[in-house]
Amino acid sequence: MDFSLTPEQEMLRDTASALFSREFPSSLVRDACYDPVTGGASAAEAAFDRHLRPWISMGDESVVDQCLFMEEAGAAITTAPLWSSSALALPVLRAVNHPDADRVADGSLTATVALAGSAGEWRANGDVLKVLVTDFGLVDIVVFVDADGESVDSGGEAHVWVVPAGDLQARVVENMDLARPLAEVTRRPPGDDQPLTITEGDLGSVLERATVVLAAEMVGTARWLKETTIEYVSTREQFGKPVGSFQGLQWKLVDASLELEKAGAAVYYAAMCIDADDPDRHRATHVAKSAAGATARRWAKDAMQAHGGIGYTWEHDLHLYLRRANAADRLLGDSAWHMEQLALDLFQSQGQRV
Amino acid sequence: MKLGWDSEHELFRSELVSFLQTHAPPEALGGRDLIGTDTGDIPQWARRWQAELFDNGWMVPAYPPELGGRDADPLECLIYAEELGRRGIPRSVHFGGYAIVGPSLLEFGSEDQKAMAPAAIRGDTIWCVGMSEPDAGSDLANLSTSAVSDGDSFVVNGQKVWTSYALHAEQCFCYVRTDPDAPRHKGISVLTVAMDTPGVTVRPLRHITGSAEFAEVFFDDVLVPVENLVGELHGGWRITMGSLAHERGGLWVDGVASAERAISDLVELSISLGRGSDPVLRRQLTELYVEVQSLRALGYKGFASFAQGSSAPEHSYMKLASSELRQRLYETGMDIQGSFGSITDDAVAVEAGRWQHSWQVSLAATIGGGTSEIQRNVVASRVLGLPRG
Repeated sequence: MDFSLTPEQEMLRDTASALFSREFPSSLVRDACYDPVTGGASAAEAAFDRHLRPWISMGDESVVDQCLFMEEAGAAITTAPLWSSSALALPVLRAVNHPDADRVADGSLTATVALAGSAGEWRANGDVLKVLVTDFGLVDIVVFVDADGESVDSGGEAHVWVVPAGDLQARVVENMDLARPLAEVTRRPPGDDQPLTITEGDLGSVLERATVVLAAEMVGTARWLKETTIEYVSTREQFGKPVGSFQGLQWKLVDASLELEKAGAAVYYAAMCIDADDPDRHRATHVAKSAAGATARRWAKDAMQAHGGIGYTWEHDLHLYLRRANAADRLLGDSAWHMEQLALDLFQSQGQRV
Repeated sequence: MKLGWDSEHELFRSELVSFLQTHAPPEALGGRDLIGTDTGDIPQWARRWQAELFDNGWMVPAYPPELGGRDADPLECLIYAEELGRRGIPRSVHFGGYAIVGPSLLEFGSEDQKAMAPAAIRGDTIWCVGMSEPDAGSDLANLSTSAVSDGDSFVVNGQKVWTSYALHAEQCFCYVRTDPDAPRHKGISVLTVAMDTPGVTVRPLRHITGSAEFAEVFFDDVLVPVENLVGELHGGWRITMGSLAHERGGLWVDGVASAERAISDLVELSISLGRGSDPVLRRQLTELYVEVQSLRALGYKGFASFAQGSSAPEHSYMKLASSELRQRLYETGMDIQGSFGSITDDAVAVEAGRWQHSWQVSLAATIGGGTSEIQRNVVASRVLGLPRG
């Protein structure tokens, strides 16, 4: 596998990096979500409208490219329906050839997906209440994925409706990450409009993109934590020398950095697999999501430890990342769930070989 | 970024694969970790195999044909490492000759010394490398074996330890202190020493698996001709680990490939022992799978930087990660056997004690070639740029 970036990909990454560091300071998120001030959300909304809507179309590009972009997004904490619209909703709409797909892609509509049932599993189900609906309150439309029965198996079909967000009965559920709000949404009684259908297998494939892109975002989040921590421990002095010169702290950071490097590579491997529709794409997605989630959480915790008291304050940005890391790891299947899917596959395919 | 390589390189791969399929001796395929034999002897099949690889241009592919290669590019070298690693085929059971001595002689040696390189690479001459000493392990620059010039010869006195294949080697690539008064790194030189020179004594050093391919080598007033000096006098530190530069991008492949084989064997083993539905074991194996797969991806990512000529910080992590991973894999292989996990009796133990044996062998992996602790220090300062203590 060839990890080298094309000149276009390098440019994409650099553009994204500059965009997020220049236009999305943490003050936007703080004003909108953490220390609400009058009109606080409007600046974040304006920044999203101006700078991110044009990038929603990344959901139509290669998964590798979208990951490159979203890794940079993850290094800044934004409150914007970018991932929900471009990595989650747009691919579902494309998969069912929904007419709204073009309007999402061109940035004129923002969207999210209501799918997970009361058990929190991201599989089509017949539950009336859908949970873990991301960015509800920030989006124009909700792509509602539903099934007739309790759940559909891999041969079964799910229904897809597009519903204006305002038409749904919803309750925002406070989440640790205030910048990516979650909601519970109650299914609207089916009207006259005919739903489109998608097989459970196709839905799974579509969700793999969302999963891997979310993993890329977490890698970016972990990277910010790592860079910030290394900078801090290199200058903060105790006992007359930088705390980063102490071996106990160095080895902790080395081990965490190794984990981050591995997770980053696993994410782009998964992205390449999806782009090539390689048979390893399913396993690679589980590996990427669990590795990226684990490294983001570990970095959040280790960064806090390495910062000492200052990192535990509301004023320091570290907690924005700690919240993002811990919430994102649990989205689209927590690590334990991905591990179990992987185990099922590993032991089943091996069992047949024996 | 893309999964596959171009067709020109895939052609190289198929040529190699068909060579391996028709030529690789059965003894070379997979199985137990090859860390030499019980006596440190080089088995006949391994000698023949190394010579065959050399003669067909498959020993060190990046070298020209007269040095056992075919002028391969870095990607071809990676493909070579992949295909050998995948099959568990070693090209040699003694890496010192082709990986350290040959390249070092070619880079630093006199014309006469350069002429010794092909035999070192082909395995016709067995070399040992005299580096570690009782007081110079991780701190190699502390070595104290002395070489004093009397005009025509150096007089060498001192002791080496952990010297692989010294019992059977004909030559030693020996690091000695030629200037005791200079700063530590500036007083070291390299000499080639014929092992049958009077005053050289070799004592086998058995390690925990019971085998003895290590030895201690003692030098008592050993006379070494001055023309055996390799490179500049006092310039030996530059020659440390002069391993194959063009293969550095793929050195990790072997460790990852054997870990990949191990994980799939472990899943099979747990199923065959009726423990395939043990949730703790499943979780443990799945975590190891995640680890192996991400490590593999990291290796390829590092290769991309290497191939473009930039530094590959990824590869600083690879030795650390894969050596520790292997220990966990093999230990899991013992855990799967439950109460029988420590049984090493060939006749009773699962797979003739493969996992027990491999685990013991793997314990050396975090010590030799730079301990894990040294690796962490190196990453901390050179990769992360943390302040020195």
